[in-house]
Amino acid sequence: MSTGEHLVVVGHGMAAVRLIESLVAGGWVTGGGRLTVLGEEPGPAYNRILLSAVLEGTHDPRATELRDEEWYAEHGVALRTGVRVAQVDRDAREVVLVDRDRVPYDRLVLATGSIPTLPPIRGLVRPDGTLHPTVHAFRSQADCRGLVAALARREQPVRRAVVVGGGLLGLQVARALSSQEGARTGRAAVVTEIVEGAAHVLSRQLDRSGAGILARDLARLGTTTYAGARATGLVPSPMPEHAVGVRLDNGHVLATDLVVLTAGGRPSVALARGAGLEVRRGVVVDDHLTTSDPRVHAIGDCAQHAGRVSGFVGPAWDQATALAAQLLARRAGGEVAPYPGNREVARLRATGLDVAVVGDPEAEAAAGGEVVAVTNPITRSHRKLVVRDGRIVAAALVGDLARVGLLTQYVERGTVLGPHEPGDLLLPEARSAATGPADLPDDAEVCACAGVSAGAVRACASVEDVRATTRATTGCGGCASSVRALLAARPPVPAPA
Amino acid sequence: MTTSHCPYCSLQCGMTLTREGRSLAVGAWEAFPVNEGALCRKGWTAAGLRGHRERLTTPLVRDRAADGTRGELRPATWDEALDLVADRLTAIRAEDGPDAVAVFGAGGLTNEKGYQLGKFARVALGTSQIDYNGRWCMSSAASAGLRALGLDRGLPFPLADVERADVLVLAGSNLAETAPPAARHLDRLRERGGRVVVVDPRRTPTADRADLHLAPVPGTDLALALGVLHLVVAAGAVDEEYVAARTSGFDAVRRSVTSWWPERVERITGVAADEVRALADLLIATAARGGRVMVLTARGVEQHSQGSDTVLAWINVALALGMPGREGAGYGCLTGQGNGQGGREHGQKADQLPGYRLITDPAARAHVAGVWGVEPDSLPGKGRSAYELLEALGTPDGPRALLVHGSNIVVSAPNATHVTERLAALDLLVVADLVLSETAAMADVVLPVTQWAEETGTMTNLEGRVVLRQRALTPPEGVRTDLEVIAGLAERLGSPVPFATDPEEVFTELGRASAGGPADYSGITYDRIRAEHGVFWPCPATEDATDGTEGAPHPGTPRLFADRFGHPDGRARFLVTEFRGAAEQPCADYPLHLTTGRVLGQYQSGAQTRRVKELPDTGPFVELHPQLARRLGTADGELLTVRTRRGAMRAPARVVATIRPDTVFVPFHWVGANRLTNDALDPASRMPEFKVCAAAVSA
Repeated sequence: MSTGEHLVVVGHGMAAVRLIESLVAGGWVTGGGRLTVLGEEPGPAYNRILLSAVLEGTHDPRATELRDEEWYAEHGVALRTGVRVAQVDRDAREVVLVDRDRVPYDRLVLATGSIPTLPPIRGLVRPDGTLHPTVHAFRSQADCRGLVAALARREQPVRRAVVVGGGLLGLQVARALSSQEGARTGRAAVVTEIVEGAAHVLSRQLDRSGAGILARDLARLGTTTYAGARATGLVPSPMPEHAVGVRLDNGHVLATDLVVLTAGGRPSVALARGAGLEVRRGVVVDDHLTTSDPRVHAIGDCAQHAGRVSGFVGPAWDQATALAAQLLARRAGGEVAPYPGNREVARLRATGLDVAVVGDPEAEAAAGGEVVAVTNPITRSHRKLVVRDGRIVAAALVGDLARVGLLTQYVERGTVLGPHEPGDLLLPEARSAATGPADLPDDAEVCACAGVSAGAVRACASVEDVRATTRATTGCGGCASSVRALLAARPPVPAPA
Repeated sequence: MTTSHCPYCSLQCGMTLTREGRSLAVGAWEAFPVNEGALCRKGWTAAGLRGHRERLTTPLVRDRAADGTRGELRPATWDEALDLVADRLTAIRAEDGPDAVAVFGAGGLTNEKGYQLGKFARVALGTSQIDYNGRWCMSSAASAGLRALGLDRGLPFPLADVERADVLVLAGSNLAETAPPAARHLDRLRERGGRVVVVDPRRTPTADRADLHLAPVPGTDLALALGVLHLVVAAGAVDEEYVAARTSGFDAVRRSVTSWWPERVERITGVAADEVRALADLLIATAARGGRVMVLTARGVEQHSQGSDTVLAWINVALALGMPGREGAGYGCLTGQGNGQGGREHGQKADQLPGYRLITDPAARAHVAGVWGVEPDSLPGKGRSAYELLEALGTPDGPRALLVHGSNIVVSAPNATHVTERLAALDLLVVADLVLSETAAMADVVLPVTQWAEETGTMTNLEGRVVLRQRALTPPEGVRTDLEVIAGLAERLGSPVPFATDPEEVFTELGRASAGGPADYSGITYDRIRAEHGVFWPCPATEDATDGTEGAPHPGTPRLFADRFGHPDGRARFLVTEFRGAAEQPCADYPLHLTTGRVLGQYQSGAQTRRVKELPDTGPFVELHPQLARRLGTADGELLTVRTRRGAMRAPARVVATIRPDTVFVPFHWVGANRLTNDALDPASRMPEFKVCAAAVSA
C-alpha cells in the first residue's frame, strides 16, 4: 500500500471525529498519508450527546465543540464543512459533490450517521417539503438551536409540547422541556406529553414492569405518556391559546405549541445504495468494517455489523478506533485485528429519571438468558439482570441505580460471578449496623495511630490520662470522640467508703 | 534534649529526643508547626530501631570463587571493604568506561547525602548512571507540576493551609493511615464547615472522614478528573478572568473535555454519574460563592502509566476554577518519602544537578562545575531513570556495578523477581544500610552506616520546608556515616576534588551549588532552620550592600504562585491529556484489579519498621470484598494465592466491605507484593504502574 494513500471521510459527526483523531495520533498524516473530511453540517464538530442537556439548560451551549478548524489545519487534515455529497463514483474512485466538484480517493470511509425518522403524520410536511412550523426534529445542533429559539420566543410562547417517540431520546427531550432547570435560562417549564406507538416507553430496552415504573415516575414529574397510540395528523388546535392539535389514532387530539420528533432514526444509506454497495438496514460491513467494496468502509450509525445497526456513540467510537488501528496497521504491513463488536450501554441523561440499560436485556432474555429481577413498585424500583454461564450479559435498572458502575464493569469485562452474586447485586447494599464505641470489646483497637485498645482507654480516668498513658488522640486525632464515649460509658466508680 | 524529626514520612514531624541512660526517648515537640506535638505510632516508637540486635556494625564482604560462585558474607575491616570496592570499581571502569558503574540513591536520605551522592557519581565516578527510588514516589506529580506550573514543590503552601479550604479533594491519598498527624487538618477543616472529598478504590480511614467518597476502578482516575472538568465547563463555572490573566492553553483543554460527559465517565470509572455530578457540583457551588477549592494528589493516582496525565488533569480542574495562587486553595502533591522533596532537588536524579537544575542545561553545568571545582565538560550527561537503570544491570550495554544507599530494591521495585535477577547479574553490588535488608543480603559488600538519631542533616518535607535532624547520640562503634563512606571511596578512586564529611559544611556547599536554581537553598543555614522551625525554599542568599552592611536575609517562600507561576512568562499552562487506561486490563485468566499500598504501622520496604518490636508486623495480607470472597470460596484469615503475569504470592485473606468487589489490595511492606506489580512506565515521569495490574486470586 502506498504511503501517499488518500483517505476521504464522508461525515463529520462523532464517529468521523474519533476516526480522524485516531489516525492523526497514529501518524497517518505525518507518515505521508492524506486525509480529507467532508461534513454536511456547517461549523466545527460537536458532541451530539450533549444536545439534550443544552436544551435543558444544564450545559453551556458554547461548550459542545470537539475540535476547532485550526486543529485540522495544524495536523494536515483537509476539512470541508457545509458540503453535500451527491454520489460516490466507485469506478473513478471519486466522491461527487452536489456542486459537481469531484474529490478523488484511494480509500473511502462512510460515516454518514442517521436521519431522523419522519412518522406518517398527515400535515407534518407541507407541500413545499418543509416541516410544519410547530414541528422540530432533534438530531443536529441546528435542530437544537431551533428548539431553544422557539422556547425563548416572546410572542406565541410555548406552554405545551408533544414529543412523538418514547425512546431514550424522546424521554430526554421530554424531561429537558418540562424540567424546572430551564428556569435558569429564563424560560418557564413546558407541559409535555409523550406519544409512543409501542405498548410502553423504552420498548427496545425495558420490559413492561420496568417501563411501568418509569411511566409512573414520568407522571409524577408532570409528563403524561400516551403509549400504544400513534399520531396520525396535525389538526387545528382544540384550544385557541395553542398553535396546533395532534390527532392520535385513539381519537384524542392533543393541543400543543410544539411538536418534537424523536421517533428514532434510520441509517443514512442513500450514498451507499446509489453506489451499489450492499445495504440492508445499514451499510453492510464485515469484521474489518469493510463494505462490499474493499476500498470503502463504513462506521457509526450508518453501518450494519453482524446484522445490527447501533445508534449509540459507544459502538460508533469503538468502530472508529478499530478502523483507524486497522488502517494504520495495514499501512505498516502489520497484523490487522478484527473488530469484535461490542455491547451497548444505554444511559438516560434526564433529570429526575434514573434509567440505565446495559446490553440488550430483552433480546438476551428471549435468547434463553436467565433473568434475575426485583421489581418493587412501592419503592419505584426495577432491577433486572440477564445471566448466562455465570456472566451478566445485560442489565436494566429503573429508579434505583445502586452499583450501576460495578454492574457495567461486570457486563463489559465479562466477569464470571458466583451463583449467589447476581441476586446479591440486586439487594440494597449492606451497611454495617452502627455500633457505638461504647460497645467495643476490650481488645478492639480504638486508636490506630498509637495502637491503643478499648480496654486500655477504659482503664484510664480522663482524656488527659488517656493522652499521657496511652498516647491515644495524640496522632491523627480521629479517635477523640470514641475515647470520650468510652470514658463516659464506664461503670461509675464506687465512692470510697 | 535535642529537637529532631521523625525518621519516616514526608511530614517530617518534629519530636524531641532525650537520652535516658543507654536508650533514647521520643517526646512531643509542641512548638514545631507541622505536627504540633502529634505523632503516629511509628514516630513514637522510632527509637526502637536503635541498638536492634540485627544492626550492622562491621562491613561485610562476600568472596567469590574463581568460577564466580558467591560465598557467604564475612566480616571485614573498613579499609579492606573500601579498598575492595574502589579496586573493583576502578577495574570495571577501566574495562567498560565510567557508565559501567551505577549509583542508586533514595528519597529517605538527607539533602546532604543526596547531594554528595550526585556529586560523587558525576565527579568521582564520572558516571551518568545515577537515579533513586524517589522515581517511584512522587515523580508523576513532579513531572506534571513542572510542566503545568513551571515549578515542582509538593505543596506550594504550608500544610496548615489545608484547614482554610472550603472543599478539599484528596485524590489517591490515605493520609489518615500514611501520615496520621496530617489528618487533624481534615477534622479542623470540617469543623469550620468545609467539605472533604476522597477518591480511592478503597473506603480507607481517610475516606471515613470524608463528606464524599468516590471509588473508581483502579487506573481510571484520569477519566474521573476529565469528567469533573467537563461538568465545570458545562455549567459555565470556569473562572474566565483568571484563566485569561494567569494561564495559557485553555481552549484546547476546554474542547478536549467535551467528550467526557458523566455517563461515559461512569462506564469507564465505575463511579455512578450522579456521584461525578455531586463532586463537580460541590466544586462549582464553592467556587461560585467565592470559596476555596484545594486538590491534593498522592500515590494512589500518581503511580500509574498515566499518573502524570492524571495530575495534569486535576491541575486543570484547579486552574479552571481559578484556585492556584490563592491562599487556602490550589493544587498540591502529598509527597511520600521523608525527603522525597529534597531528594529530587540536588542531583540524585538522572537528569538533574543541584538546585533542581537540568543536567542538559549548559548554564547549570557551568555553575555547578564551578562550585565543584571541575570542568563543565567533565560532567556526564543524562542517565537512565530508576527502573530502566535496574533493568539494564548486568546487560551488555548496562552497568556492571551498583552502589545502593538507603534503598531496599528487592522489596520496593516493581516486577521484583525480574529486578532481583538483574541485581544477581552484577559483577559488584555494594549496599550501605543499617541492617541486612533483603537487598543488602544479596550484596558483595555491605557497608554499615549510621542512622537518623546518630547523625545530623537536613530534610525537605512535603511543604518544601527545610528542617534539621540533629544528632542525639553517639553511633555504635564500627559504623560510619554515608558522607564518610562517600569521601572514603572518592579518595580511593582518585577523585579530582575532596569530599567533605561534616554535614553543615556539605550543606553550605549544597547551598552554593543550588544558588540561582529553582530550588535555591543558598540563604538557608542550620542556625536559621533552628531559629525559624525550618525555612521554605526558594531562599536565596542576599547580597551585602555596597557599603558593607549585611543585606536583610530572604525570608524563604512559604507560599508560591501568588503573583506568577514558574514558567518564564509567569503563566500556568493548561495541557491536554488523553485517557488510555491501565497498561494491563483484566482478562479471563487474570480477572481482577490488583492495587497496592501502605498500612499505618509499617513504612516502605519495612527494613526499619519490621524491626521495631512495638509496631505490629502482621505480614502481608490480601484485602478483598465479601462478595468476591464468597465467589472464591474463602473466608477471612484463610490463605490465598495472588497471581499476575509476573509472579505469585501467598498471604491470608482479609475480608472487608470497604474495597471494590472487582479489586484486591496487597500492602507492599513485605516481600511479595512487588513480584506482582507491573513495570509499565509513565512516558513522562518514568513512574512504574505500581497501583494497578490484572490479577487472579485463588484459595
